Amino acid sequence: MDAVIIIFITGLIGLFVGMLKKNELTLAVISIGLIGGFISMFLINDYESIFSTYAGLTFSRTQQMFALLAIGLTFLAVLMGYVYYKEEDEHTADYYGLILFSLTGALCLIGFSNMFMFFLGLEILSIPIYVLVGIQKGNSLASEASVKYFFTGSFATAIMLFGIALIYGSTGSFDLNEILMAIDMGMSHSPMLNIGVLMMMAAFMFKVGAVPFHFWGPDVYQGSSNAVMAYMASVVKLAALFAFVHLFNFTFNQLTPFVSGLVLFAIIVSLFLGYLSALKQTSFRRMMAYSSIANTGFALFAVLNQQFGEASLWIFMIGYACSTIALVTINMIVEKDTDELSNWKGIGYSNPLIGITLVISLLSMSGIPPFTGFFGKYLLLSSAFANYLPFVVLAIIASLIGAYLYLRLMVLSLSREGEGQKIKMTAIQALVLVLCLAGVLGGWLVLLIK
Amino acid sequence: MELIFLPLILGIIAFFLPTKWVRPFGLLASLSVLAFSIVHLMNFEPANYVLILNPAEVFPLGLTFKMGYDGLALVMVLLTNAVISIILLANWNREISSNARFTGLVLLMQCALLGLFTSLDGILFYTFWELTLIPIFLILYWFGKQDNNRALFKFFLYTLLGSLMMLLSFIGLAYFSPNFSYFQLVQANFDGKAVEAAMIMGGILFAFAVKIPLFPFHTWQAPTYTNAPMAGTMLLSALMLKMALFGMIKWMIPIGFEGLVYLKWPVITLGGIGIVYGAIIAMKQKDLKTLFAYASISHLGLIAAGIMLFTVSAIEASMVQIINHSIVAVALFLCAGIIEDRLNTRNIDDLGGIAKVAPHFGFWFAVMTFISVSVPFTAGFIGEFVLIKELFSAHWVIGITAASTLVFGAVYMLRAYQGSMFGPSKVTVFKDLTWNEYAVFGILTVAAVGFGLYPQIIIDFIKPSIKFTQELMAGDLTFTKK
Repeated sequence: MDAVIIIFITGLIGLFVGMLKKNELTLAVISIGLIGGFISMFLINDYESIFSTYAGLTFSRTQQMFALLAIGLTFLAVLMGYVYYKEEDEHTADYYGLILFSLTGALCLIGFSNMFMFFLGLEILSIPIYVLVGIQKGNSLASEASVKYFFTGSFATAIMLFGIALIYGSTGSFDLNEILMAIDMGMSHSPMLNIGVLMMMAAFMFKVGAVPFHFWGPDVYQGSSNAVMAYMASVVKLAALFAFVHLFNFTFNQLTPFVSGLVLFAIIVSLFLGYLSALKQTSFRRMMAYSSIANTGFALFAVLNQQFGEASLWIFMIGYACSTIALVTINMIVEKDTDELSNWKGIGYSNPLIGITLVISLLSMSGIPPFTGFFGKYLLLSSAFANYLPFVVLAIIASLIGAYLYLRLMVLSLSREGEGQKIKMTAIQALVLVLCLAGVLGGWLVLLIK
Repeated sequence: MELIFLPLILGIIAFFLPTKWVRPFGLLASLSVLAFSIVHLMNFEPANYVLILNPAEVFPLGLTFKMGYDGLALVMVLLTNAVISIILLANWNREISSNARFTGLVLLMQCALLGLFTSLDGILFYTFWELTLIPIFLILYWFGKQDNNRALFKFFLYTLLGSLMMLLSFIGLAYFSPNFSYFQLVQANFDGKAVEAAMIMGGILFAFAVKIPLFPFHTWQAPTYTNAPMAGTMLLSALMLKMALFGMIKWMIPIGFEGLVYLKWPVITLGGIGIVYGAIIAMKQKDLKTLFAYASISHLGLIAAGIMLFTVSAIEASMVQIINHSIVAVALFLCAGIIEDRLNTRNIDDLGGIAKVAPHFGFWFAVMTFISVSVPFTAGFIGEFVLIKELFSAHWVIGITAASTLVFGAVYMLRAYQGSMFGPSKVTVFKDLTWNEYAVFGILTVAAVGFGLYPQIIIDFIKPSIKFTQELMAGDLTFTKK
């Protein structure tokens, strides 16, 4: 509870400090707030909070891990935003404030234990994002993205709400434990419940960006600034996927036979459509959007894995998020007027830090050991191996297409023609790259501790 | 442990060295790793298993992080270190050896290879298997022929497909074994589910077949070799292909023996086809490097077929032949490299009469040709003859097919030699060998003749290891560190 409050208040303070137009000061305040939130989240079960506890928001060990990851990734997004808004000091305060409010929502979405908190979290997470996407006011692409995202997003939310209402109608409760008990007592064949679950699933698919609800992805990614895109691809996806997995593995676990077919369909179609469409893109952001659709396909394997689903998702997401943030940061460095992939030619060859980060991120995304992405995919696939072998094989074939995609980008940016090219990189960007590199290289070591 | 970390650290250092220090540093680094492995050799007793990393607990996912070597692995470790040193020596007078990135990547490659040969954990093996791919890919990309992306992608994705199949198999293996420790995997109990075992082994075998490469999976090889720089080709054929053969002997046979009954004859047949097919294609080639690439398919088909016989003497002969092929590969690709370096062409039609202009090179190329066609008193003679004999005892058809390699080998090698060295003098200027090339040829000849005269020195190392593994498979041996 404390962590959520600390982060919310930091967001408020950030809004006011941002008005002073002192970028360093704002960054310092936000960083202190985030670190405070991180520490209090780290110790959340070890001390007595001064606030009264609310049963709808509890953090178990796994939820704590996800919350810590979300805070850490937000810190990276904030650093990226600092670099961006240092040059255009118009909306600094809005950016910092909104991103922290959104993080508050993400934490609620991670720690929820009843449907009310869940819906609240989802909305607090989404609404700042609608604004953030359109924050570059002069940019028509940004406005388009923002409007598109807002309309489709609110439609998805409405469907989600309807689903929750139907579930409430059939089980008589908002509380996850009570819903679970009601389902255990024989509710699992109630049509009302099933339709409700189906609607929730559709809305979730929209939020995480899985096929067939993925159409907003490329446009929104293209319209938003790099920092917002990194935030969307990491924290928003993390929180939404966690909620998805948590709800379907824990509360609706009786319904697995009912949903597994649909989830498998979404997985396979996301993987193939995502990677194959990504191959055709010439714009970096659209490519990342499709690649994120495909990676969502992988992550959805966690929904089918009741025992280790959440832990596997954690490992997978740290690998995916760190690689994505690293790539987006590199895009920020090389981006000229457009985000065409041709900007990337030879950058890895001329700058060693960029080169190493890029190679390792891309290899991790292609699932090559010993990087974190490999362990994530390994965990997800190995648990699905026994029950869904044909789908695992399909996923492996898709990941080969993915490897081709990432390899192409790697070859492009390691081209020897880049020799002697000058690349301007600020210290903060280098810091983000190093942190991401550490995550990709060492994220899987968490496995050994637990 | 220093065996793996030393090349890693040296490799990272090499990236940051100024250009003029890179060349001596690389050679000294590889020699120092070789020295370390010789120290290991001195303290080694063939019947022992030496564990260099042995954590007591089992980590989540069944990871055990065990690393160590027996006689078999130690032979491969020594081979790796020796060949890496020789490759760096062979490149001494070339521009590439002063490149920090090249030297660094070669040392990283060495680290990955040593890790692969010493890993005693399934996931660790897979990790190193994949890791070897990265440095070689970058070497081929940066120092190979420009605009070779198509061949490169094919190479990378083909081998990656193989690796992914191997990963699937390891995931499947986890259902039959409590963890991924080599000793547990060897004792994995398939409960008579031979078909499942065969499917699991099929995945692993696919990865190996792509890398060896066995007959229908070989299409990546020739274009990759042709476009690669000399050092890259040497690394690929002298070391990377041996990973697969080593994996067959050390991992595939002990783990999935129950399932391999289904795979034995298919692989032997493919090996047999590869022997003839590779040789026939090689006879028709004009490009020296492509010719040697197809010759390599032919040679390795024989080794793969021999390994799949599962007899002790065939496996021993395979090991001798593995070492011999590394020597031959380095030697032949060095010859091709020398010709390309001096004349900017490798086409046999454009060559001719080099022996007249460069008699020393003519002599040494002849020696290397004889080593590669396995004349008596070279290591290849012992290896090939035992393999052919073993294949004959299995079935006479495969025996005859395998024996044809002797004839075919002589045909394509002598044709290559005659076409480039003798005949009409098309080449008038040819700089003769430099000191480092003399040194490489000398070392290789001594090694080939040495192992040819006394192959027992290799077999003495391997035999106890094979016996140990057999006992482990029978399950009457609980493993303890000696």
